[in-house]
Amino acid sequence: MRKNNIILIFLFLLAHVSYAGGGWPQPKGQGYFKLSEWWVISNRHYTDVGRLDPNVTNGIFNTSLYAEYGFTNRLTGVLYFPFFSRAYFNNTVSGTTGEVITPGEAINTIGDTDIGLKYGILTDGPVALSATLTLGLPLGENSGGSAGNLQTGDGEFNQLLQLDAGRGFRIGSIDAYASAYFGFNNRTNDFSDELRFGVEGGATFLGGRLTAILRLYGVQSLNNGALPSELSNSTSIFANNTEHLSYSPELAYNVTDNWGVSVSTGRAFSGRLIFANPSYSVGVFFKLM
Amino acid sequence: MKNILSRFLNIYSSPGFAGRANTGKSMPGQGFSQGIALSFPFLLLLSGCIGDDVVFDTVPEAVRILNPVDSLTLGDTYQFEARFTNNIGEVEQRNAIWTSSDTEVLAIDGAGLATALAEGRATLTVEIVLDGKDPVSDATEVVVSEEDVVGGPSGERSGTIRTTSSYLLEGSFTLRENGGDIVLEFEGDYRASTSLPGLYVYLTNNPATVNNAFEIGRVETFSGAHSYRISGVGLNEYDYLLYWCKPFSVKVGDGEME
Repeated sequence: MRKNNIILIFLFLLAHVSYAGGGWPQPKGQGYFKLSEWWVISNRHYTDVGRLDPNVTNGIFNTSLYAEYGFTNRLTGVLYFPFFSRAYFNNTVSGTTGEVITPGEAINTIGDTDIGLKYGILTDGPVALSATLTLGLPLGENSGGSAGNLQTGDGEFNQLLQLDAGRGFRIGSIDAYASAYFGFNNRTNDFSDELRFGVEGGATFLGGRLTAILRLYGVQSLNNGALPSELSNSTSIFANNTEHLSYSPELAYNVTDNWGVSVSTGRAFSGRLIFANPSYSVGVFFKLM
Repeated sequence: MKNILSRFLNIYSSPGFAGRANTGKSMPGQGFSQGIALSFPFLLLLSGCIGDDVVFDTVPEAVRILNPVDSLTLGDTYQFEARFTNNIGEVEQRNAIWTSSDTEVLAIDGAGLATALAEGRATLTVEIVLDGKDPVSDATEVVVSEEDVVGGPSGERSGTIRTTSSYLLEGSFTLRENGGDIVLEFEGDYRASTSLPGLYVYLTNNPATVNNAFEIGRVETFSGAHSYRISGVGLNEYDYLLYWCKPFSVKVGDGEME
C-alpha cells in the first residue's frame, strides 16, 4: 500500500460518515457539534484478495470535534477536527523466551482534518438534496515511528464531492428518515481516486429522545493511482486502493433538548486491504438551536 | 462560527464544566455535562496502551557444519567449523564433540581440526549435548585420496518458497557461493504479491520470526528471475528464506533450503 496500505480506511471513514447529516443543511444560525472518541484495535485485516490474515495489533484513537453550522438556510459549514490522534502497534514477544522481539511504538499527533461546505439544492420539498465539497487536509503524521509505518494521516490533500438525498416520514407514531449519498473523492500524491456511497435509515423513539440509526456504506477504489503499494510502509486506514462494504449501527440519546450522547460501531461485510476488526465511537453532541 | 466554537470549547474547558456559558445561570443538562467533563479525560487515558502480541517461535535446536568439504588430500589438515542454534534459532556457544567414523583415515580433534591420514572414506560428526534432551548433530562424509582436491562440496543449496498467508508468493531459488559472497537467485517461476507494504526477505534458522535473522533487503522484484548478492554470510549458516511484512510485523511465506 502506498504510503500506507491496508487497513483502516473504512474505520476512518466511519468517523466521518457517522456524523453526516444526510441531505439536510443546518438552518441559519443553528448547528450541531460533537466531541467524540473513535477507535479501532485491529489484529487482522482483509488481504488483497479479500481473505483474512493476521497482523501485529495496531490501534488508532481519534479524539475529535465535529461541527456543522448554518451560515444560511442553504449553506452549512462542516468541520471534522481530530485534535488528538494516537496510533500504535504492540510489542512482538517471543512465546519461547518472553523477550520482546520487536518493541511497540506509538505516535500522538493531530489527525487529518476535513473542512467542507454543504449546499442545500432542494430544501423545501419532501426530498432534501444537498451537495457537499469536503477538503481533506493532511495535518496528520503519515510516516511516524522508527520504521515510518505509524500514521495519523495519509499525507495527501483530497477533495470529496458528494450528493446527499434524504426524506423524512412516519411509521405509525414513529418519526423516521432515510437518506443516501454518493461521492467522488479525488486524491492527490498518486493515490487512487475513490467512489463513496451509502444509505442510511433512522427512527426516533421515547418521544424523540432516542434515535436509532443504521448505515450501510462502502468505498470503491478506481485503482488509478500510480502509488505502488509494495513500496509503501503503511498498514493503516490511510492506505491506497483500500475498499470495503460496511455497516454501522448507532444510538443517539438526547439527554436534554440540546445535549445528547451517542454510541456506534462499524463493521465490514467485506474488504480489501483494510482492517477487519470493528471500530467503536462514543460521543457527546450539542445542538445549537 | 468562531464564536460558536469558542462557546462550545469554553464549556468543556471551564472549571467544573458546570454547563455555564459565561452567563452565571444554570443551564439544562448541568449534571450531564459534568459527567462529560469527567468521562472524556478518562477515555483519553484509556487510549491505546501498547500491549504484547505473542509469537510462537520455538524451533528445534540444531548444529550445522558451516564449511563442509567432500574430499581432502592425503596429509592435509582442515579446520571444520560448526554453529549451534538454540530453540529460537539464536546462535549459542556450546561445546562441540567431533568424531570420525574411521580415525585411521581421517582424524579429528576436539576443536574440529581434521587430518587426512590414509586413503579412504570417513564420516565426520559434530554433536552438541543438551540438558534433558537428545543431543543434536550434523555429519559430513569426506573422501581422502592422494590426488589434489580440485573441488569442494557443491557450493550451492536450493529450495522453493511458499506462501503462509493469503498473499501470493511462490517460486524456486538457489543459494550459491560466488567469490567471497553468496548469491541468492530466483528462477523465472517466482511471483509475489504487489499488494503488501514493506515486504522484506531474510535468511533465518527460525521461520516464525525475524528475530536473529539476516535481513537481505526489501523486495522490489515481484515476478521473474532476479538475484541478490549477499556479503558476510556463509552458505550454510541459515536453513530458511523468510518473507516478512514489516509494517504488519507478520510472516508472509518461507522456503526451506536443501
